[in-house]
Amino acid sequence: MWPFVARRLTLAALTLVGMSLVIFVLLRLAPGSIVDLIFQSAGYVDPAAKQRIAHELQIDRPVAIQYLLWVRDLAHGDLGISYRYGLPAWQIIRGRIPTTVELATLAMLVAVLIGVPTGILSATHQDTAVDYGLRVFSLAGLSMPAFWLGMVILLFLVREFHWIPSMTYISPYVDLRAHLVQFSFPALAVGYRSAALISRMTRSSMLEVLREDYVRTARAKGLPRRIVVNRHALRNALLPVVTVIGTEFAFLIGGLVVTETVFNLPGVARYLVEAITWRDYPIVQNLVMFIAIVVVCSNLAVDLLYARLDPRVRYE
Amino acid sequence: MRGQKGGQWGVLTLFLGIVVTVAVSTAAAPSPKRGGILNAMHREDPPSLSIHEEATISTNWPMMPCYNNLVLFNPLFGQETVSTIVGELAEKWTWQDGGKALAFTLRQGVKWHDGRPFTSRDVKYTFDMVRGVPELASHLRLNPRKGWYANIQSIDAPDPFTVIFRLTQPQPSLLLMLASGYSPIYPAHIDAAELRSRCVGTGPFRLKEYRRGELIEMERNPDYFIRDRPYLDGIRFIIIRERGTRIAALQAGQLDVTMPQEGSKTAAEQLKRAVPSLVVVEAAHNVNDNILVNFKQPPFTDARVRRAVSMAIDRQGFVQAVRQGGAVVGASMQPRPWGNWGLPNDQLAQLPGFGDPTRQRAEARQLLAEAGFGPGKSIRVTVSTRAIALFVDLATYVIDQLKQVGIEGTLEQVDSAQWYAKLTRGDYALAGNLTGIGVDDPDANFYENYVCGSPRNYSQYCNPEIDRMIAQQSQTLDPVQRRRLVYEIQKRLEIDGARPILGWSVDSYVMWPYVKNLVPHESIYSYARFQEVWLNR
Repeated sequence: MWPFVARRLTLAALTLVGMSLVIFVLLRLAPGSIVDLIFQSAGYVDPAAKQRIAHELQIDRPVAIQYLLWVRDLAHGDLGISYRYGLPAWQIIRGRIPTTVELATLAMLVAVLIGVPTGILSATHQDTAVDYGLRVFSLAGLSMPAFWLGMVILLFLVREFHWIPSMTYISPYVDLRAHLVQFSFPALAVGYRSAALISRMTRSSMLEVLREDYVRTARAKGLPRRIVVNRHALRNALLPVVTVIGTEFAFLIGGLVVTETVFNLPGVARYLVEAITWRDYPIVQNLVMFIAIVVVCSNLAVDLLYARLDPRVRYE
Repeated sequence: MRGQKGGQWGVLTLFLGIVVTVAVSTAAAPSPKRGGILNAMHREDPPSLSIHEEATISTNWPMMPCYNNLVLFNPLFGQETVSTIVGELAEKWTWQDGGKALAFTLRQGVKWHDGRPFTSRDVKYTFDMVRGVPELASHLRLNPRKGWYANIQSIDAPDPFTVIFRLTQPQPSLLLMLASGYSPIYPAHIDAAELRSRCVGTGPFRLKEYRRGELIEMERNPDYFIRDRPYLDGIRFIIIRERGTRIAALQAGQLDVTMPQEGSKTAAEQLKRAVPSLVVVEAAHNVNDNILVNFKQPPFTDARVRRAVSMAIDRQGFVQAVRQGGAVVGASMQPRPWGNWGLPNDQLAQLPGFGDPTRQRAEARQLLAEAGFGPGKSIRVTVSTRAIALFVDLATYVIDQLKQVGIEGTLEQVDSAQWYAKLTRGDYALAGNLTGIGVDDPDANFYENYVCGSPRNYSQYCNPEIDRMIAQQSQTLDPVQRRRLVYEIQKRLEIDGARPILGWSVDSYVMWPYVKNLVPHESIYSYARFQEVWLNR
């Protein structure tokens, strides 16, 4: 087991180094810089002032030097100063991480709570009205982009109830109920798509397992249907589902960008897009690195969980 | 005799009518109430909190409540003219030395939000910094309105409560520029760089909290120098990036008012249908849609081709098709009744591009033929525009219109980060553009957009005769004579095709009926003091 873990950890570390390079280079390939954008909002260009500001922000230095300085600062836990706000990047990012993590967790919770039972139900009732209904439900989920669904939810609420969730963040320490209400709708909007995917994966995986000899044997032994499904079939059928959950967690960030924007939640995902728009390199670099770490860690967790669920994996 | 008597009765009836109307409206108008928090819409984080360093409503809208000017356009009147200017930090002002000096007597006992006293030193410091006096220790990182104050020779502060602006030439428009929301007084004891992220003003509200990307919260200034003002306890500028969400929040009552430049006519109509009690106020905000024709790029070096471009565009069609009726046709100054300097309709109709579209197109084809272009040799041109829907709609319409006279256009969408740099470099042939003007005065507009060598004269139009006329109108003290000159300049600019104007936006400002005394102005930049606003909930 331990060599497997060590191998996976080394791979994760190398991936992160590679990611840091890709992030850094790609960001600088995008046209324009923060200085262009500062002048864009002012509506004029003054070459001397531009040069002065670029020098102040140190973006006139060679790219390689900028990269090394960033990595050095990162290693010391210094995320730099936001070009746009002139404040430490960590101070800006820090407050936003819990919002995104909470929303992603709630969305995954919604996805698993809806996806797994509906998948099982669909498989155990194959080709019945229940199965058809649930398949339509999951297909719809896969077809609807999260931002569209979020906007539809918002418009439905305002039209029917003249109410929408709060547009300013409510801390759980101030009002837990209002906080959960505020997060439940975006979690639903993001989680629905993942639920649909998980449901389809659970269904097909369950159908496959339900046709296995050992399941037939269990049935032949006269075991109750509940035991056959939950104990013999489900555990084996869950392996690919866990993989999907892991990868979905990584992909969730894309859905969160628009959902945080639609529901006006002060999360990392929405802020990342704004920082990219402003070419605020310290914020973008560190946030993307944060996301890369989350993705690499979630993949690592899936790998380790896989190894735990299926002993054959660790010897391969 | 009979007619005279009838006239007397008419006057009497009118007088009684006015008396009754005033009495009824006075009786019906509720008196202002203290208290309450106003939730105002905001679309994005301001680039910075420093009004003097920015040229966007995203900064003015939330930061104006924090500051005061020497003078300001009366918040309760939509029109911005010399006669609607009221004193803020200045109690009174007089023109001296034949219009070459403007002296202000300042209020006494005014305090900055940090408790320090306000004096003439702060005024001198502010405008010395804005006009870029090199000896000053503090400088603005960006200085978009330095040109407004180019005519100031010196600023004297002979005592703590007197300031005198001495000018090279008379310039009646100076007072209007000082009354703009773009002209707050900064504290001399605080470095200007600090004001990018915090606010120390003398204004009716103090900055309570700024949660980036979320909220800018202002609280009532208890030491404000006007007794019983402001009425509100605070203002929350709620930042909502997504337009659909902003509208939903307004409809759900989480926002009390929209923000300037946010109200399209169609969106306002939809909101009004959904919530009939919402109040919709139409207001033009001194923003025009225009075409930039690069004077240095062939074939637009030929005056006939430039004029053909201007004549090819059906302005009324643009207003209806692109802006859905939310705009009006005009020349280079904002048209009446929204603006004060717009050309009268009869004079406008005589200008190229403003007549019958069919006839104009025929003339455009004729001009192109004279310049050597026609069916066998058509002009192919790239029409650049900013990659924002408002700009792209405009440029797409221009391409369609040009095609009808035989000019083949291809759309090029330019990232916002590159837009002004590209225009300033002159790296385009034709461009679809929007221009916002800070103050409805010819000086603010002409010097910025039309004089030779101005950094924002993107089309690189240069006519020394026009420059001379612009300088002449700027120094003319007689308003009638100045207006005549301004009309003449506008006609010449359109004939020269300096920057063909397609339309002037008219926004629909939406608010809940309990919001009182928030009057949209003809410029978006000058009505966000919120000192007089109150809530009748």
